[in-house]
Amino acid sequence: MVLDTVTLGVARSELIVIEGAAASGKSTLLELASGVRMPDRGAVWFAGRNTAGLQRASLPFVRRNIGYYSSESLLLLEDSALANVMLALAVRGEAPAQAEQSARDALALVKASDLENRKVASLSSGQKRLVALARAVAGPPPLVVADEPAAGVGDEARDIVACALCAARDAGAAVLAATTDAVLADLLVRRGGRRIHLEQGRIAGAPAMGLVPALTPSPTPGENFQPRIITLKIDDDEDSGQDEALPPATRGPA
Amino acid sequence: MKAVWLAHHLRRQVQAHRWVILAASAAFCLLALVAGGARLGSRTVARWGAFVGQNVHLIVYLTDDVDQERARDLAELLRRVPSVAQVTAVEPAAALARFSASATAFGLDGKAMDGLEPAYFPRSLEVRLAPAADLSERAGDLAKRLRPVPGILQVDAMGSGLARLSVWVKLGRRLGAALLAALALVTLAALAAVFLRSRGAVARRAAVLDQLGETATGIRLPTSLWMAAAAAAGAGAGALVLALGWQPLVSRLERSLGIVTNAPFPALGRADIAMGLAIVLLAGLAMGYFATPLPRAQDRA
Repeated sequence: MVLDTVTLGVARSELIVIEGAAASGKSTLLELASGVRMPDRGAVWFAGRNTAGLQRASLPFVRRNIGYYSSESLLLLEDSALANVMLALAVRGEAPAQAEQSARDALALVKASDLENRKVASLSSGQKRLVALARAVAGPPPLVVADEPAAGVGDEARDIVACALCAARDAGAAVLAATTDAVLADLLVRRGGRRIHLEQGRIAGAPAMGLVPALTPSPTPGENFQPRIITLKIDDDEDSGQDEALPPATRGPA
Repeated sequence: MKAVWLAHHLRRQVQAHRWVILAASAAFCLLALVAGGARLGSRTVARWGAFVGQNVHLIVYLTDDVDQERARDLAELLRRVPSVAQVTAVEPAAALARFSASATAFGLDGKAMDGLEPAYFPRSLEVRLAPAADLSERAGDLAKRLRPVPGILQVDAMGSGLARLSVWVKLGRRLGAALLAALALVTLAALAAVFLRSRGAVARRAAVLDQLGETATGIRLPTSLWMAAAAAAGAGAGALVLALGWQPLVSRLERSLGIVTNAPFPALGRADIAMGLAIVLLAGLAMGYFATPLPRAQDRA
């Protein structure tokens, strides 16, 4: 078991930076959050639904609302950078004109506007990663999940990556970023990100079982409460997902 | 997937896979030519059957004093001969009609036949023998036995003529079937090559779309649609070639072989075309569907 007992809620306009050594479970946590992988036990509540209980055919409707970036993100090599970014918005059902504008904005966000019309096959690996990151934050979707977003893009691009993730957060997305890059983590925390540390499949400092109050905003009336976009609860209890429902346009079948 | 994005994806894929689409169209065109050609060929042979395939092995000409009733008795007697499969009485009027049709088909002036009367043509019996390897010998033996029979003027054993032609038609049918089978195999191999050639690029696109949260239907639909469109276009081209080229080809062949028949010329009917179109559309959709491998759940992680 890669993850032991993890309870984590991410609210709208919240950025969480997950740090941890190699094999501490960061990537697994992000894969669970993005619907790429299903937990053996526990629950992942996204937009009011436990995705762990969904049928396989329903999962695409969850995944399309999550901008997922990792080193494994695939791009269409024969298409332009712009077409690749637009593809994510097309899957989400945006109108072509709006999708094109959002895609241009996302590429501008990662300082890759000059790559818009270039075929992805002709780009360097660092440029490809920036295009993939632009695709993940384009829109932005309700949840952005980024696994090692600064790896392979060069030291000077850390700022660009941090800006892109913070811009997605500022536009209302919940952002989950995992990194072993302490400089990027510090950058994100300085810009309002919340830092958590993962150790051997558990959040450091968290009790072995139960919720981690510090990580999930308390729904106390009167406070400036932001409902959670996603709640991961990797343990035996699957009944505590109180999440915000997505707007109808982005919701999948029941 | 919204229709506007479906059109967008279709346009992108047509640009990206234009050679594959062209190859798929060519393969389906060949398939249509093979299948349509087989169907038309079969009908053409059946049409020739009116000329060759009457399978008349003996023509028994009767004397003038044999009336219709006596001719029926003789036909009945012949039917009892073990090697005889069928006996048909041909009245003088029918013989004249056949002669006129043949002469017209060969381009003879109709006025030349104005003076002909049915009475010039003797009443006859056409005899078809049961299939056997020694058909010619049997026809000759039966002719020898029939000649002394009262009321029989002449017996024409066709063993070395039309019966032999009939054998050639059978051989031609077999060779044609073998040729069609070979062409069908070549076509299927071409389709398999198209299938495999497009699979790599289509698989990557499918993986990307799957990662982005596209449904299985949304992933497979564009490929299936362009493959079905390529299949329909190719098959349509094949059908057009057959529609325009088959009749002149067969006419030339018939002229060179001296085959004359009044049976209607074979053509692909609406039902044939509708059925063919439905089949190739389904085949195209299925090819597109199976050429788009969806990533397995364990591959995503």
